[in-house]
Amino acid sequence: MSNDLLTLAPLITVIVGAIAVLISDMITPNRNRAPVAVALAALGGTAALLINQGGSSASALGGSYVAGPFVAFLGLLGISIVAITLLIAPAYLAARKYPTAELAATLLFALAGAILLGAATDLVTLFVGLELMVIPGYILAGYAKRDPLSTEGAVKYFLLGSFSSAILLFGIVVLWGAAGTASLSGIAVALASGNASAALAVALALITTGSAFKIAAVPFHYWTPDAYQGSPTPITGYLSVGPKVGAFVLLIKLFIIALAPLAALWIPVMVVLAAATMTLGNLVALTQSNVKRMLAYSSIAHTGYLMVGIVAAGAGQAAGIAGVLFYTAAYAFMNLGAFAFLTALQGRPGATTQLSDLAGLGRKHPRMALLATIFLLSLTGIPPTAGFFAKTYVILAAVQAGGPATILAVIAVLNAAIAAFYYLRVIVYLFMRDPAEPAIQVAEGPMLRAGLLLAAIGTVALGLAPTPIIEAVVQALAK
Amino acid sequence: MPILSLIIFAPLLGALGIAFLPSSRPSLVRVVALGVSLVTFALSLGMLLGIRAQGGEFAFSEQLSWIPSFGITYHLGVDGLSGALVVLTTLLSWICILASFGPIQTRVKEYFISFLILETGMLGVFLSLDLFLFYIFWEIVLVPMYLIIGIWGGADRIYATIKFVLYTLVGSLLMLVAILATAFSHQAATGSWTGAFDLIALRGTIVDPTLQVLGFAAFGLAFAIKVPMFPFHTWLPDAHVQAPTAGSVILAGVLLKLGGYGFIRFAIPLFPDGAHLFAPLMIALSVIAIIYGALVAIVQTDLKKLIAYSSVSHMGFVTLGIFTFNQQGVDGAILQMLNHGLITSGLFLLVGIGYERTHDREIAKMGGWAVRTPVYAALFGFFLFASVGLPGLSGFAGEFLVLLGAFIANPMVAGASTFVMILAAVYLLYMYQRVFTGPLSPFLKGLGSHLTDVTPTEILTLAPLAALIVVFGIMPTILTSSFAQSVETFLMSAISVVGQ
Repeated sequence: MSNDLLTLAPLITVIVGAIAVLISDMITPNRNRAPVAVALAALGGTAALLINQGGSSASALGGSYVAGPFVAFLGLLGISIVAITLLIAPAYLAARKYPTAELAATLLFALAGAILLGAATDLVTLFVGLELMVIPGYILAGYAKRDPLSTEGAVKYFLLGSFSSAILLFGIVVLWGAAGTASLSGIAVALASGNASAALAVALALITTGSAFKIAAVPFHYWTPDAYQGSPTPITGYLSVGPKVGAFVLLIKLFIIALAPLAALWIPVMVVLAAATMTLGNLVALTQSNVKRMLAYSSIAHTGYLMVGIVAAGAGQAAGIAGVLFYTAAYAFMNLGAFAFLTALQGRPGATTQLSDLAGLGRKHPRMALLATIFLLSLTGIPPTAGFFAKTYVILAAVQAGGPATILAVIAVLNAAIAAFYYLRVIVYLFMRDPAEPAIQVAEGPMLRAGLLLAAIGTVALGLAPTPIIEAVVQALAK
Repeated sequence: MPILSLIIFAPLLGALGIAFLPSSRPSLVRVVALGVSLVTFALSLGMLLGIRAQGGEFAFSEQLSWIPSFGITYHLGVDGLSGALVVLTTLLSWICILASFGPIQTRVKEYFISFLILETGMLGVFLSLDLFLFYIFWEIVLVPMYLIIGIWGGADRIYATIKFVLYTLVGSLLMLVAILATAFSHQAATGSWTGAFDLIALRGTIVDPTLQVLGFAAFGLAFAIKVPMFPFHTWLPDAHVQAPTAGSVILAGVLLKLGGYGFIRFAIPLFPDGAHLFAPLMIALSVIAIIYGALVAIVQTDLKKLIAYSSVSHMGFVTLGIFTFNQQGVDGAILQMLNHGLITSGLFLLVGIGYERTHDREIAKMGGWAVRTPVYAALFGFFLFASVGLPGLSGFAGEFLVLLGAFIANPMVAGASTFVMILAAVYLLYMYQRVFTGPLSPFLKGLGSHLTDVTPTEILTLAPLAALIVVFGIMPTILTSSFAQSVETFLMSAISVVGQ
């Protein structure tokens, strides 16, 4: 029992941290600094515990929860995401008179879900972890409760999210019944030895549909643009990164571990979904003039690139999962960075950012524009940035897998060229157009600056020296 | 001393240093940029002198582990071919920086930072021997050029720069897939990632016929877009016309060479069977480029666009020479690359000098320019005759050798291409006649005292190019002997590997 507690210590620390944040807010109401400080302290403690556990493979809860390098990697990634979000959000929220403490607590609860998701070895724990991670997302989407757009986005997100959870859950139950076990690796063993049955087909269809909703793959992506556009900008940044990373962990656990024996059945579906997702995401992003909405659609396109890694992994290439994990880390830093930049531009309540608002920003705020350029080049996939290496990694895995995966790799790089057009268009506005009138206000607090800097350091470091992360990823998968 | 790393990163360090200079002191920024580029030039000259003394295929090799999980290394090396192109790059870089002193008056600091990063990227491409490293430098080149055209370019600069980037990106991204496929095939064959991205380890080992064909197609497309070969050339006139003078010079002088260099160093040695399969197509496209470029140049009304199309025509000789796969042809192709780098850069500089005074490039408005500015007209004439291929100036030797090589490979092709040397004389001399001879045109007359002759600084930018054109024109063997070994190795590596 005491061993269990030790193994679960990171998870418990996060939850205790979340409660401590709420208590600190009660003691010093209307002070933004205290809850953020408490939350950051909790994140630091959790990070230390996770690093400490990185080498072990202790299990708890009767084997349903296995700590180790995989959890450590995901947990640290989640901590970085939450930390950057917590740094960039307070000023934005304070300007609109929204509380910060609730954000910090909600993010910590979601992080607990992510850790649980990463550690889960059976269907039940997996689903609980998933829900613990996504339900805070619904709350966050509706964070600007006086804003009808935010409420609309939150309702859509909630309805489609719970709908897809139900589909997924139904699939999970059928799978459990068909395989006779809830253990992920047990399912793989049962499926490898047994014959395909009608129940399995139903389970596969339901799980694929449910998962496609969760990662927002085309044609199950309709909730994303509204949910993303309606949410307060820093929260959109989190929503476009956090739940997506979690959903891909779900995909790895369900498809690569449990459903691996059925890969021949789901790979074709995944290939079509991936191709459609990146192409449609990019084509629609091309037509957006609102920067936030453009980033929302571009995040759909990135889902497509990530799926390339899943396909490669399904075809038996371990580099596929490693690629997905590396990609999620790179994507987290560069996309959060892009949203942090957008947050800085929207210091004033009610501000929306059109492309034309960015005109000439490079002249007035060269440092801010330079940071934005780094994030945009990384999102495009230009070396030597994280985004380039991430794309290379999943494409390498796909090329290794051969067959349809290679074709998917070619589709992916052609899509990267389409994406280059709209990402570089932002740079055109930043540097090549004359300043807009009236000039856009740029808010730069010390915390926001720290968040931007963290994201930029991550984006550049993962590109220049990817080796430590590659090794961490490979080690995470070695278990 | 890691001299190659020093050469590559000296401009980048300079760019970093300039970033900390105050933008309120543009003249300081200019001088520092010039100083950095001159130091890089001096370093590259030192390297050039040391290449032969070092012996071996690649001199000054540096190899450091970088991403060991995939056998990616930081591997640099230089031979006669890349050495000559490196010096061309460092030479044109300081010339361009000097030539930008006057024309670039807005955002001076950002301009020189971009330019120095561009230099680092170009040098990296020429000196990389690891495919991954090569690809990274290849892509890095795009970003500063994108900014240089997009920020300091002409009226349609944004359209031109986006077109430039997208064209190049499509080709290079497919090349990335091919690089990864090549590396993986090496890993699958040997069971280890060691050397999977290393050019020297990979040469001659790719025996999978499908990979030979697809790999060459992907690399070839990336390089064909860069050269640019017909029908992938349409980005070039737009980019040239919109780019500031120095941008055009670097574009013509170095960036186009990246494509030719890529064929010789990477595409053909890695995929010789694919190269032989595609050779007839490449030769046909080269001949079309030679003729088409010249014909389109004849009807141009814009001076800069005329030179841009002449580049398409001249670069056709480069690809034609490469795909003859004989010594004369390849010697000629490399000579043509270097000479085109000197001559066309000079022509773009001259067009830029004229534009500074007239703010116009419309050929129809000009006429009788020689009356007012004899030195300018004489210099223009000199570079023009070099471009036409006048014997005794350097442009002749390259084209002559390419035609000789083509004649050995296929007399028909040589015949068709020789005809173009006449067309080149037509479009260039016809242009010269309209712009410089005859009575002074009303437009030029209207400029009055603004129509000054070349300044000493401008002569300083042109003189090194002119001197080299004369030297290499009289003694092309200085060059051919310097890269003779590279050509020999290239011809050896261009032999079929499948089925041996």
